[in-house]
Amino acid sequence: MFAKILIANRGEIALRIIRACRMMGIGSVVAYSEADRESLPVQLADEAICIGPADAKRSYLSAPAMISAALVTGCEAIHPGYGFLSEDEGFAEVVRAHDLTFIGPPPSVLERFASKEGTRRLLGGHGLPTIPGSDGMLRDDAHALEEAQRIGFPILIKPSAGGGGKGMRLVRSPRELETAIRICRSEARSAFGDDSLYLEKWLEDNRHVEVQIAVDRFGHGVHLGERDCSVQRRHQKILEEAPTPALGPAARAELAERAIRAIVAAGYENVGTLEFLVDRDGNFYFIEINSRIQVEHPVTEALTGIDLVATQIRIAAGEPLAFSQADVVLRGHAIEFRINAEDTAHDFRPQTGIVERFVAPGGPWVRMDSHLYGGYEVPPFYDSLLGKLIVWGPDRPTAIARAKAALDELLIEGVETNVPIHQAMLANEVFLEGRMTTSLLDRVGSAAFLAAGSRA
Amino acid sequence: MTEHDPVARSRPARRLPDAAAERSADDRLADHEQIERLTDDLLPALVAKLGASGLAEIEVREGPWKVRLRRPPGANGSLHGRRSTDRPSRAQPGHAEHGHAPAALEGHRGAPGWEGLGLTPVGPGRPIGNATGDGRAHRAVATSPAVGIFQGRPEMRPGTKVRAGDRLGFVDVLGVRQEVVSPVDGLVGATLVDAGEAVEYGQELIRIELAASASPASSATGGSSVSASSAPSIPENAS
Repeated sequence: MFAKILIANRGEIALRIIRACRMMGIGSVVAYSEADRESLPVQLADEAICIGPADAKRSYLSAPAMISAALVTGCEAIHPGYGFLSEDEGFAEVVRAHDLTFIGPPPSVLERFASKEGTRRLLGGHGLPTIPGSDGMLRDDAHALEEAQRIGFPILIKPSAGGGGKGMRLVRSPRELETAIRICRSEARSAFGDDSLYLEKWLEDNRHVEVQIAVDRFGHGVHLGERDCSVQRRHQKILEEAPTPALGPAARAELAERAIRAIVAAGYENVGTLEFLVDRDGNFYFIEINSRIQVEHPVTEALTGIDLVATQIRIAAGEPLAFSQADVVLRGHAIEFRINAEDTAHDFRPQTGIVERFVAPGGPWVRMDSHLYGGYEVPPFYDSLLGKLIVWGPDRPTAIARAKAALDELLIEGVETNVPIHQAMLANEVFLEGRMTTSLLDRVGSAAFLAAGSRA
Repeated sequence: MTEHDPVARSRPARRLPDAAAERSADDRLADHEQIERLTDDLLPALVAKLGASGLAEIEVREGPWKVRLRRPPGANGSLHGRRSTDRPSRAQPGHAEHGHAPAALEGHRGAPGWEGLGLTPVGPGRPIGNATGDGRAHRAVATSPAVGIFQGRPEMRPGTKVRAGDRLGFVDVLGVRQEVVSPVDGLVGATLVDAGEAVEYGQELIRIELAASASPASSATGGSSVSASSAPSIPENAS
């Protein structure tokens, strides 16, 4: 096991990794930008080292700064968290070239799964149903139109290099296609430095369901059940829960078993998530893999009692999985709420400023992962996630009741948050009946949703 | 006034930090003069205002600069100066390292202990010259452009005359040198870290004593300066 690891991230996930390290007896060093000097991870880590200015390109996205920081502090491994450098196979490679361990899949595995389109083909070959899509990347407008007509409208244009729902566009008719592709190309080029696009059939009223897996270096893999991430706002997840209300026990088991079989056969290593769309009839289609720890991993931790960050570190250190599939028991129901610094009254504009007061909710089966403290200044340079509230209950209604109580107890003063949208969601009939789809929020419109929630 | 040294820097293949000096030496000299003027003229007035008002924070903008004065936020201790390379133990939040007792400050308007005192240029770049603890702002400090291993240039002995932009040493980042440059015209002062020592981004490395002509106001305003009476230090970037 590593003696000391560098945490190449910030915010709540940096804190989460520090906690895993402390529990495992591993030293933690947080690499931070000048904007995060006063942040909680910097205060709580065993050590902290400033690696650059606020601009992420010169700090959290700088591979040389991260690796140099790891070397001068005597770390043996680098944990990238999510976002930033977490799925950058080039970074993983340079980390290894400096005799450090990247906590995630080895560079060769990251490379194999780097292209979404290639991954769909690979896992399709190992028996996972994939969503009908274009044959490879779009070459030009004529090719795009040809492929779109073959698949059938509506279609979704997706950037190959994207993630987290960024850069996607829904096109309902051939007339819109040309313009949409031009916009997507330019967005993808500026956001990811790669303007390769592909098409996917758009399933109306789809649900987003993902399977958490863990595979060790010896090819032993287990699944840890699924999570439902259908509650989204403009393709961004805001609430995740498990089990999914979309599928019955038999269908859930089949989905998870097929996912783990395919991913082990494809030679994956470390923890990861396979994302699926589930249509109205319960058919599921593989869409992409996330080869990192995910924001919503605590949902699975609540159901299984398994520490996913510790598991990730152990696999990277070369240890075999300490549990088998039979040891993974999924108990009860868990829901996670992403608490963002956003002004719901003004189109969810990201908020910055000083958190005057912060009181985390407590009580049985309530977990708050957050880097906030009273007096903390939310900097404007990074994403707006302030923390995550996770509640567990023996069944969905109990979890929802606990969630309501916990959201009421949560106090964040000084910065607007998206808590109202969560409260409105918990009063929404479609959600309460477990019938939510990825378009639930956007179709009703967030404003109407909030208004309905406040009447309830 | 000064030779324009564009700070030669090799461009390695993989994304390397762009290092600090994107702005010309002239810009930085102008920055420094501006900082001096603000610390001498504006800060004493601001401190008095903040003390009398009971506000938690005052921010004043002037041209491209802003000056922000903030009271210690309750139980949150400042971590300035804390770095991995010289710190065996960890600090808990709420345990200030500058010897302030945050609780004791509450209710004492105007009491010493201002800590979030910063001069920040709005926009890209940051001031490289810093006023230091004696309040007369007759010193600047060359800071580290990157995280890595520091090496000084042997010819840059204390007393050596330098101009803004002159190379004082470098920080080795994975085998690539990132130059440490003087932020101002002046004389090389103390080197604050040993050669071969690990340094972090922004760490103070080499003091530069300003030539007398570069700071005509400094000797006259020393007595009324802010930091002499209250602030323990002026962090280089408080935002």
